[in-house]
Amino acid sequence: MNTQTIPPLAPDAPVVLEMSNISKSFGAVTALVDVSIKLRRGEVLALVGDNGAGKSTLIKILSGFHQPDTGTIVSQGKEVRFASPRDARAQGIETVYQDLALIGDLSVFHNMFLGREYHKRILGLNLLDNRKMREQAQLYLDTLGISIPSVNSTVDLLSGGQRQCIAVARSIYSSPRILVLDEPLAALGVRESAHVLGLIQNLRQQRQVSVILIVHNYNQIFEVCDRINFLHSGEVALDASTADTSEEELIRIVKSGLGRKAIDAAAAEVRPGIV
Amino acid sequence: MPPIAIAKAGKGAVGVKVPQTMTERLLILLSRYREASIAVVAIVLVVYFQVGSDGGFLSPQFMSVVLRDTGRLGLIAAAEVMLMITGEIDLSLSAIFSIAPYVMALMSVTWAVPLAVGAVVGVLIGVLVGAINGIITVRFRVPSLITTVGMLFFLQGIVVSIYNSQPIVAPVEQPFNAIFGQSLYQPSDALLSWHGVTAFTPFLWAVLIVLALALALNRTTFGLHTIATGSNIIGAREIGVRTDRMKIYNFMIAGGCAAFAGIINTAQFTSADPQAGSPFLTLQAIAAAVIGGTSLLGGSGTVIGALIGAFVVASLNNGLVMIGAQATVSDVYLGAAIIAAMILSIQVDRLRTRRRL
Ligand SMILES: Nc1ncnc2c1ncn2[C@@H]1O[C@H](COP(=O)(O)OP(=O)(O)OP(=O)(O)O)[C@@H](O)[C@H]1O
Ligand SMILES: [Mg+2]
Repeated sequence: MNTQTIPPLAPDAPVVLEMSNISKSFGAVTALVDVSIKLRRGEVLALVGDNGAGKSTLIKILSGFHQPDTGTIVSQGKEVRFASPRDARAQGIETVYQDLALIGDLSVFHNMFLGREYHKRILGLNLLDNRKMREQAQLYLDTLGISIPSVNSTVDLLSGGQRQCIAVARSIYSSPRILVLDEPLAALGVRESAHVLGLIQNLRQQRQVSVILIVHNYNQIFEVCDRINFLHSGEVALDASTADTSEEELIRIVKSGLGRKAIDAAAAEVRPGIV
Repeated sequence: MPPIAIAKAGKGAVGVKVPQTMTERLLILLSRYREASIAVVAIVLVVYFQVGSDGGFLSPQFMSVVLRDTGRLGLIAAAEVMLMITGEIDLSLSAIFSIAPYVMALMSVTWAVPLAVGAVVGVLIGVLVGAINGIITVRFRVPSLITTVGMLFFLQGIVVSIYNSQPIVAPVEQPFNAIFGQSLYQPSDALLSWHGVTAFTPFLWAVLIVLALALALNRTTFGLHTIATGSNIIGAREIGVRTDRMKIYNFMIAGGCAAFAGIINTAQFTSADPQAGSPFLTLQAIAAAVIGGTSLLGGSGTVIGALIGAFVVASLNNGLVMIGAQATVSDVYLGAAIIAAMILSIQVDRLRTRRRL
């Protein structure tokens, strides 16, 4: 993966998604306070933060799984309200959740097409076209270079890494506009991570799909991301481009564990103009 | 970038354990074909009773009794399977089994409503009760075990109070009774006569509905989403499956099946008894579902297995008496069968998890 071959994002790339002033609490737990993020066409945005910072909650609001207490989502210039993940998927927003959202008792190919099954009519009945789904799943996994014992095996018989690959493949299959990946590399081996990062790099090269990527490994962030948003205690504490931030700086800021204001001040002191 | 192979498919690399012992191989076979084990049990039972009764067990006359019971139990067992797959259960089905035909018979004797119309009303009542059970369960997050026990008492209370708990003699209307159930097979009937067929209609209806449910479960989006709901409810919701609706739909199907079973029962006995379905009927149906190979953990189950399970239960109930055992002894066998089936089912489940890496 050669970072040099990827030209920087054009400064005039249109904004495809804007989440503004999103707040969310679960009973007494405040998960997000006034979070705003912006995503441009073809951009790969890294979302980082401590455990429990609210990253997954934010992307689950984007995917329609949670509804925000306050705040708005603007997608393609229009305000949208996702009542369920179906709505978000219909808008071309695909999500790989941290828990993968795979159904253990169903086969790989049924998982790949869950929620967008192929049908065929037999005697007036709308039945599943299992053969087509099986073939398409096999074909698609082959093109992505993901190999598993069989698309017929149930998902709970696969290894953690294989499951993660299936979840990633499922999310890319429908050529989404916006791809959200919540720790997609967590269970992957070195070669497998490199492979998935390669897929993201591919998308980035074409600059058509916008990606939100949650990862804890900063090496990987600097390898494939254009911009970083650091989420701290439910707030965005840092918004910086990978081009003018170094890995050391990022690690220092994240480690400091400070709120937004303190980080702003600290960042301005060390290197004016990051924020 | 050319695609790189992620993990070379090899037995060692992919974490699928190669079966070692005979028992393990057998368990894997059972986990794949859950109906297989109960089918074997059913065949063994038939042979045992057939020998023990000097050939009386498989006579058309006796079979019409066993299959009538199989049909009644099988419909309710299949209904429970649909719910158990979504991770729920319905203990009010016996009360629906009583109230639906009771309403049908009452409408017939008081307002002269045709039985066919009353039957439709009865099934709709079952579906409606199912919808209420489902809505209470998913919207108010009351465990279905509790919701449906409440519904059981509620409906049972209504059905005994509307007509002073009197059984109603239901009229015989043709072709309604010929289609949905008539008196049993008589020794004088020829097997290929019209009566030879109508004596088995309750069972044939159960087979038809079970096949329809099997088709829905295995070949439709509805079935896929039903399994997804029970297997991983959060994951299913995250990917956009309407899990609440799936549960409610299955409660409705279960209520409809129980109502239909009750109507067939009444058509056959030409009497609507407010106590026709005792809670024991539901428990026997759940037993049939479990020994038929449906997991209590949700996410998998087989309606065909449930029908075969119902046949085993009905054979035990009738066969033991036939070969001269005390009527009460059949419960001993049934109890043992349930426990054995549970042990087997949990072994199979554990095997599946063990093979998981
Ligand atoms: N469904 C829920 N009910 C109650 N609290 C929740 C729920 N989901 C998240 N939270 C809380 O919200 C906070 C943010 O959680 P979130 O999962 O978004 O963190 P995260 O940044 O993704 O962490 P991690 O890196 O560990 O995945 C946590 O305090 C968590 O306990
Ligand atoms: Mg998370």
